[in-house]
Amino acid sequence: MAEPFMTTPPKPERLGAMTEENLKAAFAGESQASQKYLAFAARAAQEGYPNVARLFTAVAFAESAHARNHLNVMGGIGSTAENLKAAFGGESFEISEMYPAYSAVAKMQGNAEAVTSIRYALAAEKDHQGIYEATGKKVDGAADLDATPIRVCPVCGHTIVGEAPDECPLCGTAGRLFHSF
Amino acid sequence: MPEMPEEYVKRLPKSEELNAMTEQSLRAAFAGESQAAEKYVVFAAQAEEEDLPNIAKLFAAISFAETRHARNHWRVLGGIRKTADNLQTAFAGESFEIDEMYPAYAEIAKLQANKEASRSIRYALKAEMDHKRMYAEAREAALQGKDIADQPVSVCTICGHTVIGGLPDKCPVCAAAKEYYRTF
Repeated sequence: MAEPFMTTPPKPERLGAMTEENLKAAFAGESQASQKYLAFAARAAQEGYPNVARLFTAVAFAESAHARNHLNVMGGIGSTAENLKAAFGGESFEISEMYPAYSAVAKMQGNAEAVTSIRYALAAEKDHQGIYEATGKKVDGAADLDATPIRVCPVCGHTIVGEAPDECPLCGTAGRLFHSF
Repeated sequence: MPEMPEEYVKRLPKSEELNAMTEQSLRAAFAGESQAAEKYVVFAAQAEEEDLPNIAKLFAAISFAETRHARNHWRVLGGIRKTADNLQTAFAGESFEIDEMYPAYAEIAKLQANKEASRSIRYALKAEMDHKRMYAEAREAALQGKDIADQPVSVCTICGHTVIGGLPDKCPVCAAAKEYYRTF
């Protein structure tokens, strides 16, 4: 069905409970599809399929657009001050509840690689929680962050504001491989 | 595409035989990291709109960190295989969304007269049909050890409509002008 002149993403609206539940599930599905496709793109590039890699990257971007649309309809996009609080809340849950519980189970079951993957994430979420908290205070005072670069370890996600270390303190990856934002 | 030097790959968590509860935990963690990554991308765009470019950069950086965690969990879960197999996984996921998930969600949103939800669902459903076809073709090529043709892949930034080759004047799904497309 054509919708001429409709060039904005879907907007927030009051939702029936079942529809809200479905959009939450669809947001989860699109988000995971997008991340899978990005990982598949890296693998395709490694195997010498640059154009398949590009296809995966493009489709990952399309799934991101769907995720954003679903999130927006659910009213999940607030002002930046609100978004920083939501982000801080999410990181805090992962640090105080989710990852400690998962880590305990993975250790008990002797799944060493899972323990590593969880440890990397938990440590980085602590970086994020601290940065979001400090940033939230600035935005409450209506100020932007300063322009200091933010560096992220491509292996474990360790995140710092400022210069990259010689080696990632968490996983040992060389600082020159960090991504700069 | 970012390259993956060996000194980097050797540090990544590897696929392993997982116990059921640990597998369940990692699946939930993968879902959580994926959703956090998407939220932060959207929050970055919002910060840009509010003229807070450095906070936008912060959200983009932390989104990237969450994609590293999602990838690590997904590797340990054994989710990354050969490209031909990955294309099959992708094809199956799109097929489920087209045949089952979105039609059911669309029906309920219509019943509950949630117009914007209906639109968001319809946009996604339409694009997943494009993706399914593209993945099927790419899998045929990869099974013969071949790459697909070197043609631009363009995505409508409003609705996710995906097209290989030339751009339409207007998005056939949401009517956005072709300037709204992003080309890969």
